Amino acid sequence: MGRLALPPKTLSTTGFFVLTAVLQPVIFASIAFFIFRTGHHGATLLYAALGAGLMGIWSSTLFGSGGAIQWQRWQGTLEVLVTAPVPFVLVVLPLTLATASIGLYSLVATLVWGRLLFGIPLHLAHPFLFALSIPATVVGLGLLGLLLASTFVLYRHANAMSNLLEYPVWLVTGLIVPVSLLPGWATPLSWLLAPTWGVEAIRHAALGGPVLPALGMTALLSVVYLVLGAAFLELFLRLARERATLSLT
Amino acid sequence: MTSLRVFGIGGLIAYRALFNWISPWIYIPTMLGSPLFQIVFFTYLGRFSGTKSDAFFIVGNAVQVCAMSSVYGATMAIANERWLGTLAPLLATPASRPALFLGRAVPYVANGLFVSAFGFVVGWALLDFHPRGGDVPALALVVFVTVLSCTAFGLLLGSIGLRAKDVFFAANLAYFLMLLFCGVNVPLESLPGWMAAIGRGLPLTHGIAAAREVAGGASLADVARLVWTELGIGAAYTAAAYGLFRFFEAEARRRASLETL
Amino acid sequence: MAVIEALDLRRTYRTTTGVFRRRTLDVEAVRGITFAVEEGRLFGLLGPNGAGKTTTIKMLITLLVPTAGTARVLGLDVVRDAREVRKRIGYVFGGERGLYERLSALDNLRYFAELYGVPARRQKDRIAELLDLVGLSGREREKVEGYSRGMRQRLHIARGLLHDPPVVFLDEPTIGVDPVGARELRQTISSLVANGKTVLLTTHYMFEADALCDRIAVINRGAIVAEGTPADLKQLVVERTVVEIEAYGATEAAIERLRTLPEVSSVAVEEREHSQLVLVQSAQGQELSQELAGRLDGARVGRVTVREPTLEDAYVALVTES
Repeated sequence: MGRLALPPKTLSTTGFFVLTAVLQPVIFASIAFFIFRTGHHGATLLYAALGAGLMGIWSSTLFGSGGAIQWQRWQGTLEVLVTAPVPFVLVVLPLTLATASIGLYSLVATLVWGRLLFGIPLHLAHPFLFALSIPATVVGLGLLGLLLASTFVLYRHANAMSNLLEYPVWLVTGLIVPVSLLPGWATPLSWLLAPTWGVEAIRHAALGGPVLPALGMTALLSVVYLVLGAAFLELFLRLARERATLSLT
Repeated sequence: MTSLRVFGIGGLIAYRALFNWISPWIYIPTMLGSPLFQIVFFTYLGRFSGTKSDAFFIVGNAVQVCAMSSVYGATMAIANERWLGTLAPLLATPASRPALFLGRAVPYVANGLFVSAFGFVVGWALLDFHPRGGDVPALALVVFVTVLSCTAFGLLLGSIGLRAKDVFFAANLAYFLMLLFCGVNVPLESLPGWMAAIGRGLPLTHGIAAAREVAGGASLADVARLVWTELGIGAAYTAAAYGLFRFFEAEARRRASLETL
Repeated sequence: MAVIEALDLRRTYRTTTGVFRRRTLDVEAVRGITFAVEEGRLFGLLGPNGAGKTTTIKMLITLLVPTAGTARVLGLDVVRDAREVRKRIGYVFGGERGLYERLSALDNLRYFAELYGVPARRQKDRIAELLDLVGLSGREREKVEGYSRGMRQRLHIARGLLHDPPVVFLDEPTIGVDPVGARELRQTISSLVANGKTVLLTTHYMFEADALCDRIAVINRGAIVAEGTPADLKQLVVERTVVEIEAYGATEAAIERLRTLPEVSSVAVEEREHSQLVLVQSAQGQELSQELAGRLDGARVGRVTVREPTLEDAYVALVTES
């Protein structure tokens, strides 16, 4: 998502943005469902549904945080926000969390869509922990988005880069394909990403398995991201001001 | 002679003028990076689900990623005129309209071919895709026809974009729907009837099916019917795209309806 | 034979208003315009904004189909023989848009040279000539997105002349351009006619029309209200004198009181920063000046002068009295 060839200065159509945000997770979920339905692997369709839903959360976050910065740049308001007395992190943070939460919609939509059209049963092994793991993962994804958003401040063509990170993050955080299937070097990388643990927590909560350790790691890494993200933002803002790349459209 | 130049040279200049992603900083991540990851992702998804072989997903996605140029790019090639206000100067020239319109598609076809070729190389280098050397020319031809047809579809969106402001969102949606409907990752037989029906009306579907067979050793003769169908679909979209363009032009002169005319 | 002919040209726009109960309104932008331009002449269409100048010119350059009437350029009908007409005319609309921003001026010209069918071997020289003519030589490789308003205007003119058309249409060519640049542009336009081209120009600047045009047609509200040489138009008001009153704080009501005087032909007001310049046309300006100043009570009155009418006054009279 966000692979938009938008003409500059004319993002007037939030209605259509919403439409894309609504349909994309459902489309990807359907693809996943069809692939798994004809497959022989033991993974249940619920697993696929969860994965597809989480994919949507990341897409939304990515588009939201990177897109939001780019949007501000096009509007010419990026400079204004940056020079506001409020620390920039407090401006970006709600934005990234908000878009991650919009992504929550995609999780719900995917599960509902899966239930209605593919008859996927929605039995949860640990419902309470499941309910806890979702926001934890959303926050983890949101903060990962914040880390990335800080780099977008510096680069004009952030949007192009942000598009690039959609599939890789899906893969490396093991949203739908277990990390074990990836080449060896991907495993340590995945451990560093908060969403990986959140995803594991969600899966165990739904399908059975130890939830709390994973939740703990999610929380820990989220805090680290927050601190790093705030630091990077200040650093990159300073660099952007020095290099005068803030206002370029 | 001038029409030929408008077609060729004109098309190339228009490409540089209207393609938003021409800068390497955008081109590489968008046209190469993203397709690379798309192919890797779906292939791994396929591996995990234990359904088809790598080749199934690689061929499907490597052909589909041409849409980065053929759909997004071709849409820009026409619709961006609107934002620039260059429609009026364009239509005030005596240039042949077919040459003017269709010539624009050529660089995007080339671009789409390049992206698809890159996709195949990714599949060969990083994943498990090893067609016989002898099958490659046939594969190239099938992919070429498919890219033509997909670009025609993009041109149609571009024409629509002369009037509809939100056509770029439609292009985005089309890209994803192709992943679902065109047999890129899910064979048509596994789709519900209505989805398969839509897929058969879209570009890519028949081309991908033909490409899979050819990559697996079939001859061009075996897939002739599929290839001709894909070509026919492309011709239909071309006619629709050009027809719409001319219709909007005529209507704009009658009713001053194109904003910039 | 006239090079440009308009015969009872009409153009109606249909607009819809309202969201729920949509009503269609027919707006007559051009209501029966007739004129002819001879070869090698510079013809001006002069009128206030919204008078129908742009609509008229768009019909002549084949971008709009007239609702009624005919127009011919070099004997070719603009509707039936549109493509042939396009080969023989150049047009300059100007403004910020209409150019490919990401390309250089040179590339923009190259593209349109192809579209206008300029022979390949002529293109390089022709483009260089034109860049020189409009004063853009040396800057042609810069991207248009960095161009100023004036530079864009010049590029528009260069583009309109690529195929060396015998007839050139210019729509408000100096609008938004700085005074020095505008003067240079006017010189360029004059040189076109000196080189044998036929030029039709629209403008709302009276002095521009006076300086450049052989003949002027004054348009207001979609119809021609007067046509002739600048001298002819001045004749319309030659009987009159103009009383210029510098007023501070003159209200609309006060101005109206001036209009009601039977000897007054027209009243125009120029808003200045802290004052207004009230221009009263009348046959007996000399005698009236005291009374006029008196009628503006409520406002402080500064200098009062009585003078001969200019072409500008003729224009004002034509536009306000029609």
